[in-house]
Amino acid sequence: MITRLLSAALVAGFLAAVVATGLQLALTSPLIIAAERYETHAALDADDARLPIVLAHSSGHDHGDGKAQAEAAWQPGPGLPRMAFTGLATLIGGVGYALLLGAAMLACRREPTPERALAFALAGFAAVALAPALGLPPELPGSEAAPLATRQAWWLMTAAATAMGLYLILIRRAAVTILGGLVLIVAPHLAGAPVPPAETSALPAVLAAQFAARSLGIAFVFWAMIGLAFGWAWQVFGHRAEAPARA
Amino acid sequence: MSTNVQTLGTTGTRASEGAAAIVIAAFLGIGLVFLAGFAPASALHNAAHDFRHTQNFPCH
Repeated sequence: MITRLLSAALVAGFLAAVVATGLQLALTSPLIIAAERYETHAALDADDARLPIVLAHSSGHDHGDGKAQAEAAWQPGPGLPRMAFTGLATLIGGVGYALLLGAAMLACRREPTPERALAFALAGFAAVALAPALGLPPELPGSEAAPLATRQAWWLMTAAATAMGLYLILIRRAAVTILGGLVLIVAPHLAGAPVPPAETSALPAVLAAQFAARSLGIAFVFWAMIGLAFGWAWQVFGHRAEAPARA
Repeated sequence: MSTNVQTLGTTGTRASEGAAAIVIAAFLGIGLVFLAGFAPASALHNAAHDFRHTQNFPCH
């Protein structure tokens, strides 16, 4: 069981990561690189700002004293290494999400088929991509934002509450649980996401809007692939394991 | 007959085995998602940077 679950999650994470990495490199990475020119507007002059990868890009957004710290921190080189690490991170995230998807399906006693896993994956998309994005839209580097810890806390709370809410509504399906589920889904938004400071960013709004739309689109494809591939791989590994026993 | 006994045996252990598998997969999954999306170490942040922005993990 555990072997089947881990194998199916690895396969699903890998297939989804291949697709999502391609989409990220084609659609969002160019926007991130373009936005990084604005991120360091105060620190760099115009010539340096044309470099595709800029320094001062580490923990914290305090451009002044954070710069020395950022130069010391390791970061992947521009071009291929950076793309490779984006792919690696997508693979790790994809396998992680696929494991959570599999665990959720089995905990809900749903045999993973491609169709059912796709349905669970869409709920996963709603919980970790769509719901948090309503309060904290996908951001380019250089956008003004509230402190990291409060945003992470709100993100986690919203994702957990939405997932639990969807479970209560779609799996439990009793009047009380549906009501409770709706409350859970709406509550984080009523409480409100951390508000960014009022200062305006130098980043063009067009870039930010494009990025937000593309980011959600990629997250949707990522999750759909995780679901379809997990259901498919689960069935394949199941047949393979059962075959010798039947013979 | 022997196959029947074997099948019953596997069904009996399936519940606890399944629960263990779910717990292991859930912890492993949370660990991997944390590593890719939340880990504060700046080397990890920089490596996963573009993925974090695209997948809308709070970044910076």
